[in-house]
Amino acid sequence: MAFEPAQRTGRVWLPAAGFGLFGLLVLARLVQLQVLDHPEFAAKAASEMVAADTLYARRGAILDRNGHPLALTVDTWDVYVSARAWRNESAAVRASEALAKAIGGDAFTIRQRVREHESGDILVARDIPFEVGRELERQGIPGVTLLPNIGRAHPEGDLGASVIGFIGADNSGLAGIEAALDSLLGGTPGRAIFERDSAGRPIPLGRYVARQPVPGADVVLTIDRRLQELAERELRNAIEEHRATGGALIIMDPNTGEILALASEPSFRYSTLDLSREDQLELLRNRAVTDLYEPGSVMKVITAAAALDAGVVTPNTSYVDTGVAWVAGVPIRNWDYNVYGTQTMTGVLQHSINTGAIFMAERLGAERFHQYLDAFGFGRRTGVELQGETPGIFRRPSDPDWSPVDLATQSFGQAISVTPLQMAVAFAAAINGGRLLEPHVVRGYVLPDGTWRPVEPKVIDQAISPQTSATLRQMLGAVVDPGWYHPANPRYYTAGGKSGTANVPVVNGYNDRQIASFVGFAPLQNPRILVMVKLDDNADLQTGTQAAGPVFARVVDEALRYLGVPPEKEPEGGR
Amino acid sequence: MASLGRPIAQGGTAGARRQGLRLPAVNWWLVAAIAVFAIGAALPVLQSSATTSRGFDIRAVEQRQAELRGEIATLEAQIAAQSSLERVRQRAEAMGLRPSSEPIVVSVDVPGPEPARIPAEYLPEAVPTPERPDSWWRSLLKWLPLPE
Repeated sequence: MAFEPAQRTGRVWLPAAGFGLFGLLVLARLVQLQVLDHPEFAAKAASEMVAADTLYARRGAILDRNGHPLALTVDTWDVYVSARAWRNESAAVRASEALAKAIGGDAFTIRQRVREHESGDILVARDIPFEVGRELERQGIPGVTLLPNIGRAHPEGDLGASVIGFIGADNSGLAGIEAALDSLLGGTPGRAIFERDSAGRPIPLGRYVARQPVPGADVVLTIDRRLQELAERELRNAIEEHRATGGALIIMDPNTGEILALASEPSFRYSTLDLSREDQLELLRNRAVTDLYEPGSVMKVITAAAALDAGVVTPNTSYVDTGVAWVAGVPIRNWDYNVYGTQTMTGVLQHSINTGAIFMAERLGAERFHQYLDAFGFGRRTGVELQGETPGIFRRPSDPDWSPVDLATQSFGQAISVTPLQMAVAFAAAINGGRLLEPHVVRGYVLPDGTWRPVEPKVIDQAISPQTSATLRQMLGAVVDPGWYHPANPRYYTAGGKSGTANVPVVNGYNDRQIASFVGFAPLQNPRILVMVKLDDNADLQTGTQAAGPVFARVVDEALRYLGVPPEKEPEGGR
Repeated sequence: MASLGRPIAQGGTAGARRQGLRLPAVNWWLVAAIAVFAIGAALPVLQSSATTSRGFDIRAVEQRQAELRGEIATLEAQIAAQSSLERVRQRAEAMGLRPSSEPIVVSVDVPGPEPARIPAEYLPEAVPTPERPDSWWRSLLKWLPLPE
């Protein structure tokens, strides 16, 4: 039997081509999925498998100038209750009573709070102490979950609250230094990546830290806690004694611009802070840097400094005070309606004579007077680290409603608005050799690696010459120690200073409310501290010398004794 | 003469009994293959077990570290509170001290004392905690080529 050889045919190529084409299609799809779309699918897979967690950085501490902690980070817990787990009444009662016993509060209130929600985890307590939270964990109360958080402890209580500020629920600063230096204190959060199983639970050893958290730097303030306590105590007492509505007391080093104490009233207290109350929001601003006032006669120091520096007067230049100065047809009288007759420039400061200040300003001229105001930093922010600082305002000759009366009234501290800190800084420049310094409340930073980074004093301008400054110190010494009793004269130290009593401006004039202030320094020859005392709306209507002067004297005596400055005077009986 | 194709059993019936119980010849290659297979199968299980165990250990250590950090922060806050001005005042008053009315200043040529420090020298010396011995089964794992 013979086989007929098969004929060559092309039919085999048809399925071959079909399979080949199919293979190519599969291959193309594979290339598309595995090569071209790889990043997208890899990301999708990773998002299914991998989750990320934020690792919170430890917030830095705030310390006083000697390293005593004023604000510290402590570990706390937030307590959540599962609404579902507390649906059973008897179980909820038992659990809520155990919870209330541990964290304080009323069990019924806690239950009510949880019952307001159908499901989910309800926050029932925030920032409970670390030890209490651990005890709660050990108890294992049904439905109760604890999440770690951080809180701020203030070992000195309410001391310096207006400077230190506070943090909010999200642990970022909301006021004071906590807000101003939030990024520095807060550090940089880290990131942890972990793989999870199908139920979303982290897989052991599937976790790694992609970025380590960098803890925040510690901030060392220029504030001295003892001086801060002294300032707050004296300010509170003065407000109470003179029935004032508020005030400010600043102690600063006039040679470096370091603020050693800054008290401001009214202000918030940590112990009573309640941000849900609108009236408390008023207390959050630090009025020593945010609120403007007319400085009154303290401004005569700046006028005298400018006139002396420009050489238009000397301390012994004399003029005749008739009790009134006519400026552009407007009579301007002395604050006490007195007539002082022939007076020197030192006498003008001693008696706080308005016409004498006008005399100096007119000799200077508006343009030069305003150049000096600029050099002393008026009308612009001082640059202190605290938030909400206002630059102040005064009318210039280039302004459309300028009048020569403005120059006259600015010379004794009206028609010009300043902040208490601005006034203190300008006064410091007048007596420290003429250097306008940037004030600061931060002495330095301790970085996370332990490096100490100091904040160096910053000179902004040379307002007047050192010789003028020395002369002015002597003139201001004669104000505080005129040869007779003066309320602002410290018992143990020589000092210089100037009072101010200014009415509060309203539209088209002034009302009968007043602001009494005293700014001074001590010791006279080598000033270590400058003290600024300001009382708002003191109901007893005492002048700056009467109301703020004694506060200045007490603060100088106590502060210099604390700073180790040997007394310069033998006390002469009671003050 | 007929001959047996195998040697005559020694000992009569006892030899026969031994013959009846004789185990089949051991194929050592097969045994080795099974052993390799068994070890190969057990290895991932052991690795997984060890990994899980270490994972839990690490979590426990991290937890402990977090607790210790919390304790440190709490202790720091307590120390700060103990040295606060209010506390110092209370202690001073308890000791019968009062603010002076008229200070007496004495000038001396000797520098003042060093600022007070936290009295670390009075703290108890840290005693190193001895390492806990591993359990016997865990010590077996050390023989395996597991990642550290």
